[in-house]
Amino acid sequence: MTDASVRISHVAAGHSRVSRAEPWQVRLGTALSKPGFLAALPVGILLLAGFVGPLALVFLFAFMPPQTFSVLQAPTLANFRTIFSDSYYLSFLASLQLAASTVAILLVICYPLAIAMVRVFTRKAGILALVLAAPLFVADNLRLMGWMLFLVKGGVVSGTMQTYLGIPVDSMLYTFSATLFGLVYINLPMMLFPMILGVSMVPAQMREAAFDLGASRWQVMKEVDIPLAMPGIMIGALITFILAAGAITEAKVLGGTAVVMIAQDIQKEFTFAQNWPKGSALSMLMIVLAGSLALAMFKRVDLDAIFGRKG
Amino acid sequence: MNDFSHRATWAYGSAMAALILFMYLPMITMALASFSRSKYFSFPVPKYSDKWYLEVFQSLSIRDFFWTSTVVAIAVACLSTVLAFFGALAFARYDWKGRRLFQKIILLPILFPQAVLGLALLLWFTALGITPSWQATVFAHLVWIAPIATLVIAIQVYSFDPAVEEAAYDLGASRWQVMREITLPLLAPGIFSGFTFAFLLSWANFPLSMLSSGADSTIPEWVSAKLQSGYTPQVPAVGTLTILAAAVVMAFGYQISAFMKRRQVKAG
Amino acid sequence: MTAATGDTASASSAPPPILQLRGVDKLFGEFPAVDRISLDIREGEFFTIVGPSGSGKTTMVRMLVGMDKPTNGDILLRGERINDVPANKRPTCMVFQSLALFPHRSVGQNIEFPLKIRGVKAASRKERALELMAQLRLPESYYGKGVSQCSGGERQRVALARALAFDPEILFFDEPLSALDYKLRKILEKELKDIHRETGKTFVYITHSLEEAMVMSDRIGVMNKGRFVQIGTPNEIYGNPSTRFVSEFMGEVNILEVGPGPDGTVIDQATGASYHAPPIADSFAGGSLVIRPEDIRFLDDTASPAANKLEGVVYNEYLLGSRVQYQVRVGDAQVFLVEKLREQQLASARGGRVTIAWDAKDSTIFPTARFAS
Repeated sequence: MTDASVRISHVAAGHSRVSRAEPWQVRLGTALSKPGFLAALPVGILLLAGFVGPLALVFLFAFMPPQTFSVLQAPTLANFRTIFSDSYYLSFLASLQLAASTVAILLVICYPLAIAMVRVFTRKAGILALVLAAPLFVADNLRLMGWMLFLVKGGVVSGTMQTYLGIPVDSMLYTFSATLFGLVYINLPMMLFPMILGVSMVPAQMREAAFDLGASRWQVMKEVDIPLAMPGIMIGALITFILAAGAITEAKVLGGTAVVMIAQDIQKEFTFAQNWPKGSALSMLMIVLAGSLALAMFKRVDLDAIFGRKG
Repeated sequence: MNDFSHRATWAYGSAMAALILFMYLPMITMALASFSRSKYFSFPVPKYSDKWYLEVFQSLSIRDFFWTSTVVAIAVACLSTVLAFFGALAFARYDWKGRRLFQKIILLPILFPQAVLGLALLLWFTALGITPSWQATVFAHLVWIAPIATLVIAIQVYSFDPAVEEAAYDLGASRWQVMREITLPLLAPGIFSGFTFAFLLSWANFPLSMLSSGADSTIPEWVSAKLQSGYTPQVPAVGTLTILAAAVVMAFGYQISAFMKRRQVKAG
Repeated sequence: MTAATGDTASASSAPPPILQLRGVDKLFGEFPAVDRISLDIREGEFFTIVGPSGSGKTTMVRMLVGMDKPTNGDILLRGERINDVPANKRPTCMVFQSLALFPHRSVGQNIEFPLKIRGVKAASRKERALELMAQLRLPESYYGKGVSQCSGGERQRVALARALAFDPEILFFDEPLSALDYKLRKILEKELKDIHRETGKTFVYITHSLEEAMVMSDRIGVMNKGRFVQIGTPNEIYGNPSTRFVSEFMGEVNILEVGPGPDGTVIDQATGASYHAPPIADSFAGGSLVIRPEDIRFLDDTASPAANKLEGVVYNEYLLGSRVQYQVRVGDAQVFLVEKLREQQLASARGGRVTIAWDAKDSTIFPTARFAS
């Protein structure tokens, strides 16, 4: 069939010379004969039906009149007006602030740990990575519940202080800091692993050369280590920022009512309030944030270089 | 400058140990809480008891949740491994026009907050008239897990020399024979890791299950509900059991992949 | 080692040593990668350390530069012990095998790196960088170029310029040319020797190619198993290799295992043939007889006199550019390599019967017992 359409297209081009582009059937045909395109199809269809579709629907609903359940109405900006006149932007700002703090804390914690994994414990890096990745396979809410039991009044911290030291300690839960703590804990592997990839991309000889040319340890770090590890550091920072900004469980389990995060607002609109358009408009804030950050990163980072490294 | 001084190694070592303790502290606390006899956890635990485990083992509803979680995780692992195998070839092996774009699209669901993705999927299912069920949960999990499994397998594909495939073609193998005799066996360790990852991530997922499963609740959903409506030490008991299950799967996975690597090294 | 100390004693008129090694060891566990080496490197010379991989040459240069510390012994720079001075505090600098150019910096920024580290102002940094680029024949337009856009030869020059910008007292090279193709390598070898003359600095060069060492060096140290087996000028090494290892390392040679024979001759242990050889000690019990392929000739007249004569069949012929090499089989077991200039090529050589001959003075005897290598 592909052959036939190719022939037809040549004949057509010979007669009319209107367009040198081949008809779409031909282009599809040649694409289908490429193994790369064929291999990408199954996941591609999944993501079309499970990611692009839902997000497109959210986009459409964001412009529908409030409290409606169909996308076939005249578009309006009413939802966005409500969002910005009500205090919803506060939860968005709170989420951004928490996310930024999470990233800042994780950058400082994870960099020395990544150095340790790559350069000090080189031989044990495989098993260490497994031990550190394993908690990802335990549900977030279970692990956060563990922290709740640890920090609650009468829990491990306050119990220890009270019983063994006689110092009364109140609950450490249901504050901004508790939420931040939860976000740092849950997202730590998301920062650590990309950073390990980044740090292991710095060739040892490059660092030795800088050292040999007279640079101090600090200068080697500033001039060679950090710039060359930047792709990994950037991916880590970006993933943790987006995931922290869109988090829900941390605030629910550890933060109580101290902080309301944007994802909680979105959830409320979709479930209790049954106001799909408003929920969609709030989701759009998240989608735009995540999308623009991801695009900014894709421009700067060569994915082949990061994932393709051997060893 | 290469060999770290004694003191530096010691400092890095203790930082590493502190990190591991930090990562596991909540789980240790949870295990402790599951053996507390009184309904409310207090530390130091006044009296230990295994009664909450007995209750959990006797509860038919909890058994159902375990069953649902397992079925969903197995389905997600199988489907995403198949999708991810081809996806990884497109990601790393074949040179084709849309590859760079494909690589970016694959990363997007991983970069996206799951809670918001779950809500978007709720809207999508409702609009399409799909009733929430465990099958819908499998689909929701796939959207997030298949891309991760693709990356896991892609890392293995990068270390795979395409010349080996070409040599097999040159020696007269058909496309199918090359796949069966060369590509699949060489990528087996990566495929297996992808499968294990997918299983464990699905097993532990809450945000994507919450709104898609309807009546077919999974364990993490039950935990979340219990945390809001009434804590009993059954919750940490169930939590500890799911962690043990995950640990067993991981230990098996680690052994098998180590075995596969050894065999490949020997054969190569 | 004896060669090194003897050498300094005899060359008392030569410039004073800039770098001295005194019984330097580097042990990895029990294994000595560098084994009790003593060596003097003179101010301004081009000294090359040659050895096969695993001979300890890279370990040695890493200690000299300050990346590793010796297990035992002292390293002295102008008489001062520098064992514990780290690389960034030593007035020496190295061009790495991988070159280690910073990929996130331009050509100019790479060259300026050591100056930036010292806090030199941007304007004078640039001035110096452009000076060096001119000296190394890098076009000025390359100043802002990324290093990944440079060709192999240009990258070499950038790495060299960066090292020269550091203005080191000694410049070390760790096989920087090994990744390049033959032709470019030949050009850069000569360029490097020219730069050495222009700058007058002390160069210490590491390579596994004796050929490369011959082209560039004032003196060569041949290393094997963590020790120097011979130190000398290129001429000394070529004309008078001290061990079988050195002569084998120089290229393809014919080696015969021989034992003592009557009247100062030696007996081939494989065939029982007897050869005339250079004078040997009375205590000679056995060893290797080494003859270079170019020192063997074909006799047109099989009857003409020669010290050592053998009959054989040409099995194969290899063209090596300006020279031709023949594989000659003698009897069932022995193979000789014979090398001739292209103009002396034999007509339809393959399968032909030939007589090969060499003079006793062109062969070398290495007794087994004393110089086991």
